[in-house]
Amino acid sequence: MEKSRKLTTLIMAGGRGERLFPLTRDKAKPAVTFGGIYKIIDFTLSNCINSGIRQIYVLTQYGSFSLDQHLRMAWEVVNPEMGEYIYSIPPQQVTVNRWYRGTADSIYQNISILQNERPDYVLILSGDHVYKMNYLEMLNYHIDKRADMTAACVEFPRLESTGFGVLHVDADHRIINFLEKPKDPPGIPGNPEFSLVNMGIYIFNTEVLVQEVIRDARLPDSDHDFGKNIIPSMVQRAMRVYSYSFRDENKKEVSYWRDIGRIDAFFEANMDLVAIEPIFNLYDPAWPIRTYQRQCPPAKTIFGGDPGHIRAAVVEDSLISNGCIISGATVQRSILSPNVRVAYYAEVSDAILFDDVHIGPRAKVRRAIIEEGVKVPAGYTIGYDRELDSHRFPISDGGVVIVPNNIDLQED
Amino acid sequence: MQRILVVDDDTSLRVYLQEELAEMGYEVLTASSAPEALKIIEKEPVDLVILDIRMPGMTGIEALPRILGLKENLPIILNTAYSQYKDDFMAWAANAYVVKSFDLTELKEKIQELLHETPAAVQPT
Repeated sequence: MEKSRKLTTLIMAGGRGERLFPLTRDKAKPAVTFGGIYKIIDFTLSNCINSGIRQIYVLTQYGSFSLDQHLRMAWEVVNPEMGEYIYSIPPQQVTVNRWYRGTADSIYQNISILQNERPDYVLILSGDHVYKMNYLEMLNYHIDKRADMTAACVEFPRLESTGFGVLHVDADHRIINFLEKPKDPPGIPGNPEFSLVNMGIYIFNTEVLVQEVIRDARLPDSDHDFGKNIIPSMVQRAMRVYSYSFRDENKKEVSYWRDIGRIDAFFEANMDLVAIEPIFNLYDPAWPIRTYQRQCPPAKTIFGGDPGHIRAAVVEDSLISNGCIISGATVQRSILSPNVRVAYYAEVSDAILFDDVHIGPRAKVRRAIIEEGVKVPAGYTIGYDRELDSHRFPISDGGVVIVPNNIDLQED
Repeated sequence: MQRILVVDDDTSLRVYLQEELAEMGYEVLTASSAPEALKIIEKEPVDLVILDIRMPGMTGIEALPRILGLKENLPIILNTAYSQYKDDFMAWAANAYVVKSFDLTELKEKIQELLHETPAAVQPT
């Protein structure tokens, strides 16, 4: 990026996250725990820092306390004296007496930020996606194309793209049509079995962005959404709207980008971390993912007991955070957040256990997400009897049992 | 009869505009400040607003998004002696920007253009 060119970054983190219920019943989706120690927004913020971007506004709204708290604990790492900041802004309600009506409205209501900053370009991101990306490469592309707006996209198999916004582009990558959740997604020129899925990452020339969100704010019938309203309208008016093919810093064969929309997507994306060769790599020193880390003692396993009653901790393909104690129990393909206890002869498999969860002796947990602080009693089973589970807990379409921390579990 | 709200802290200008616009066949309401204008727009049907920028307390540019928050499709003409506010992003939310002059030709043209193009203002509920 040329030194004189100025970029301001806005991360939209205000959505209600209804499809992630009950995990989002009291917090913003970007503040949901992911991969044991992270919050979902850490991936986007790490991408910013790793791209050299240090002027960031996080637009919060629903459940903003959880997110604000995390930003203060984990992300006060930039230096305001050097003109760097990560600010969290809830709706100001200064000029209008309403919540954000949509993604575009969240920018419209914060035009004063852009007025004060006067950047040349604005990068708009979502706080609920998991991927690794260098945004400055996208900015250079945007400048080279002399675009009004550039939308990042990822290649998905054509028939799996129906649930997303799909970009129809010409040979020069100019977007000629934008389709929200199309039944028959268009293929890529030269690669007809794949489609270009909109990642919700946009770079605008600032003046174009201001004009577009003002225009949209004055339309009574608009949903005030970038994907549904702004981009299709700009494409229709033949503005210079380009697609940028996401260059994956994850450096695996297949590009990795996950929209943590539904519970099953959340579960699968977590499970992507525990494979022998995980398709999403947390261990690359060239692209660190940072977060707030609680002060906890090292994780511990226990092997012991009397002859004939040996308790052996068995841990396979799992992420075990600091402070965990696995005491003669079996843990397979699971993710344990800090300070989890798994007592003797308990069995945990394909499970996500948030902070401070205790699994009692001989309890069995399978294909479940257990919220922070839940104490699973001795001998209790979760994930083995669909009928029984459905009377006690929410279950996702894909059969993942969610154990919220607003109930006491009774001993079986 | 279409109603125009003139918002300006300069009394003589309000009177001048009121006479001129009434002669064109419009009903004219006036407000001497932005908060007064917001109260009128909240309560009464208005088809177009002519809005000064430099006013004590709340400027026209500060009032603009507040007016649009009440009626998003109400046409607004910023009418100011200064041209430098054209660069203010929020000023772009106005339908037109007319630099003040005692020759009202440009202002009158904009009014006719906007009232011809847009449907009558929504009645307050």
